[in-house]
Amino acid sequence: MSVNAPSEKIERRKLATKPFARADRIFFAVSTAAAYSSFVIIALILIFLVGRAIPAFQTQGIIDFAFGSTWDSAATPATFQLGPMLWGSILISLIGVVIAVPLAISIAYFIEFMAHKTLAKIVTTIVDLLAAIPSIVLGLWGAFVFSPIAAGWAKMLNQSMGWIPIFDNPEQNFLRSPFIAGIVVAVMIVPIIASITREIFSQMDRDIINASLALGGNRESTFRKVILPTAAGGVIGGVLLGLGRALGETVAVLYVLNISFDINWGSVLQAKGGSVASMIISKFGEANPDEISALMAAGLVLFVFTLIINSIASYIVAKAQPWRK
Amino acid sequence: MEKVTDLTPVARPKTAAPWSRKSPQFVLYASLASIVPAAVALGTIALTGMDFMAALFIVFLPLQIVAAALVGITVYGRRGILEGLLVVATIFLSSFVFVLLGSVIWSVISNGFSALSASFIFQNNYYIQPKTSLEFGGVGHSILGSLLIVGLSTIVTVPLGLATAVYLTETQGKSKGIIRTLLQAMSGLPSVVSGLFIYAMFIASGITTYAGWTGSLALIPLMLPTVARVTEEALRLVPVELRNGALALGAPAWRAFVQVTLPAAKSGIVTAILLGVARVIGETAPLVLTTFAADRTNLNPFEGAMGSLPTYLFNYIAFGFDESIQRAWGAALVILILVAILFISARVASRTRTKARK
Amino acid sequence: MSNLTYHLRAEDVNVWFGERHVLKNVNLAFPTNQVTALIGPSGCGKSTFIRTLNRMHELIPSAGFAGKVLLDDEDIYGDGIDPVKVRLNVGMVFQKPNPFPTMSIQENVLSGLKLSGRKNANNEELVETSLRRASIWNEVKDRLNDPALSLSGGQQQRLCIARSLAMGPKVLLMDEPCSALDPGSTRRVEETILELAPEMTIVIVTHNMQQAQRVADQTAFFLSEDGNPGHVVEFGATEQVFEQPIDPRTNDYVNGHFG
Repeated sequence: MSVNAPSEKIERRKLATKPFARADRIFFAVSTAAAYSSFVIIALILIFLVGRAIPAFQTQGIIDFAFGSTWDSAATPATFQLGPMLWGSILISLIGVVIAVPLAISIAYFIEFMAHKTLAKIVTTIVDLLAAIPSIVLGLWGAFVFSPIAAGWAKMLNQSMGWIPIFDNPEQNFLRSPFIAGIVVAVMIVPIIASITREIFSQMDRDIINASLALGGNRESTFRKVILPTAAGGVIGGVLLGLGRALGETVAVLYVLNISFDINWGSVLQAKGGSVASMIISKFGEANPDEISALMAAGLVLFVFTLIINSIASYIVAKAQPWRK
Repeated sequence: MEKVTDLTPVARPKTAAPWSRKSPQFVLYASLASIVPAAVALGTIALTGMDFMAALFIVFLPLQIVAAALVGITVYGRRGILEGLLVVATIFLSSFVFVLLGSVIWSVISNGFSALSASFIFQNNYYIQPKTSLEFGGVGHSILGSLLIVGLSTIVTVPLGLATAVYLTETQGKSKGIIRTLLQAMSGLPSVVSGLFIYAMFIASGITTYAGWTGSLALIPLMLPTVARVTEEALRLVPVELRNGALALGAPAWRAFVQVTLPAAKSGIVTAILLGVARVIGETAPLVLTTFAADRTNLNPFEGAMGSLPTYLFNYIAFGFDESIQRAWGAALVILILVAILFISARVASRTRTKARK
Repeated sequence: MSNLTYHLRAEDVNVWFGERHVLKNVNLAFPTNQVTALIGPSGCGKSTFIRTLNRMHELIPSAGFAGKVLLDDEDIYGDGIDPVKVRLNVGMVFQKPNPFPTMSIQENVLSGLKLSGRKNANNEELVETSLRRASIWNEVKDRLNDPALSLSGGQQQRLCIARSLAMGPKVLLMDEPCSALDPGSTRRVEETILELAPEMTIVIVTHNMQQAQRVADQTAFFLSEDGNPGHVVEFGATEQVFEQPIDPRTNDYVNGHFG
């Protein structure tokens, strides 16, 4: 009965890849339908926003809408241009990410590689708790508790390094600046980046780390040459997820930023800045139908923007976590 | 040929993990290195009246870096400098996060506590002006509104999220990767966009005016990814042997799921629901765009504007008077308490799960 | 051997996972009410083969199959046969004891009925007979409502056997049922197998050659050499396979020269 003639072709039989009984078919059909609901929701969001945004795109022109810098519903014809908001969102998110990344990586490193088990558990809980604080509560805190303190820091930065253009502030008003909004956004996204980084760290092969240590590496060189390069992909994905969240942050930014269509290219301490999401909510209450359409268009731009960033991010995170399949 | 199942673990040499290597000498140096810079910085503040942040960055940090580098050198030799710096950077940056969180929670509790009273929690906002003193009126209608709006969206989202998780774990479906990516992308959906979407779909098109249920709908896309992902994780933790055991007894897939997998994953699913609710209970932007705010108690989510805690907070911050800000802090404290209850319940639920598996 | 009847027959069974051919042209006939042991080194496909006998291997998405498995002369892979129904008649016990953790001992025994949506007139009697046949009744009769996980590993495995027996299967498949158990529990499970043998056809995969000699009437030796798909090298009465093997490879294996 030994194996010979390996070339002979054997006819494969059909296996039951689909459930046989009717109840099972219904069970699988329902779960499949539910799974596609996320696809349907995203498609519906796109359809309805595009539908409402078309009038604004038609009257304003897509290029002017995205890059111009005037927003005036009283003018004839009404002009709606998103440029300063779009740039402002990016600026604030970048500040947020720059501040949040070192904090988040430190926390993750502390939890995974430095703290004892109990302490690590407590710190993990604290990070999760931070993630659970609603953004409007952070906005309230940002406006009435944090802003005065941060304005003091901003003043010090201005006095010591005001000759660098980004710290320039001729009006000497340090409240409601992109700097402060950026820090508040950083508080929001630290837990997101930290929890993904921590998960990547925790799944790393301890043998690699131990091997590096056994070869005479110390903690610092192990972190720099082994842990970071191995985890880099996942950490970058986590940072992008944080960036996506920062771009969409609405109410927390609203109270700590002076929304201005006078574009602020990078003087982060000045009391003017932009945020697409916060602008939408602040203008929505008093908007006429034309402006509503423009706000829908702004929402669409924000949505597409975050969708792209999040998709790239989740792709990278998934690639960096092959064990999740 | 007997299978060897138990190997005595080989003792690991102590030198293999430098972070567990601690001599008394090291402990002494380390504690000196962490006490001296802090003492010098505090002393500077006390003597010169220097700003705290300035002292932190100009006095404490450089001293701490030098101290850590010195400890590094004495303990590990020259390579220890960077080692010491890494430790200082990690602890310094991590503690920053704790200070921020502490500040948020402390300011909400200290400012909100004085606003809290029986009338604040149980009364509604009818006849209340922004400057009315805090003895009158409260957030009762908003608490009820929040619970109704979030409850309604939970009723829709939980079956949807559960069934999605079933697709991702129990079936041989071909689009699992796409669905997972979409869910991940949806978890980053800006909440204001979700509000705009429901506004465009139901309110701008004239199907309804502001109502509670439109708010519930606007929360679904925000809640679904959390519920689906955490449930998926919970179902994945159910050992495959249990499923096979059920199927080998001749169970159809749906009965195996309902009678074996689901009970085994129960506490994980409870955690998923609680985390989902905690995720949306404070969402503001979607509700501002879809439910409006009401001052009177409205228990019918299908008709009329409905107050909720986040929209209450949103309005009272905007008024800007001392009394209204006071009310805002009170409402913020109520939200935080709700979030804390949900969060702690979720922890307890997931703890009973780990215990049950032992 | 000519007067034997065969409850279960595998004809030209081939299995693939993806493009990997893991079993080739396996022909085995399992005599009614006897114990047949499947032995062979790790990775020879014996565990995969036992799963083809109740269509459990199909749960792996990439699985492919060719050949026939006849249960009472009916092909269980035939058109219009529901794999779920096949598993009602062919019970299975796994490597690791897997009682349902959320159920009590009694509920575990009755779980098959509940899971297949059947009704039974006298549940108490069924619980007692099933537990008696699995020789665990005396140990658990006073605590039928305790959680199943309160039992020891060996008791859990016998509970899983009782759970299968409650369904009244014609064939019982056992995939290394003792590999996670201590020697004492292993002995109890082997005694159970010998008690069940006169009334049902049992197929058991085992790593342990002493076990095969203790419990099996027939033994089949599987082998997968040099990346070739697994196949049956030798099949016959247990004494013959162990004491006068025809194939030299069987001789090498049963005498511990490899594997």
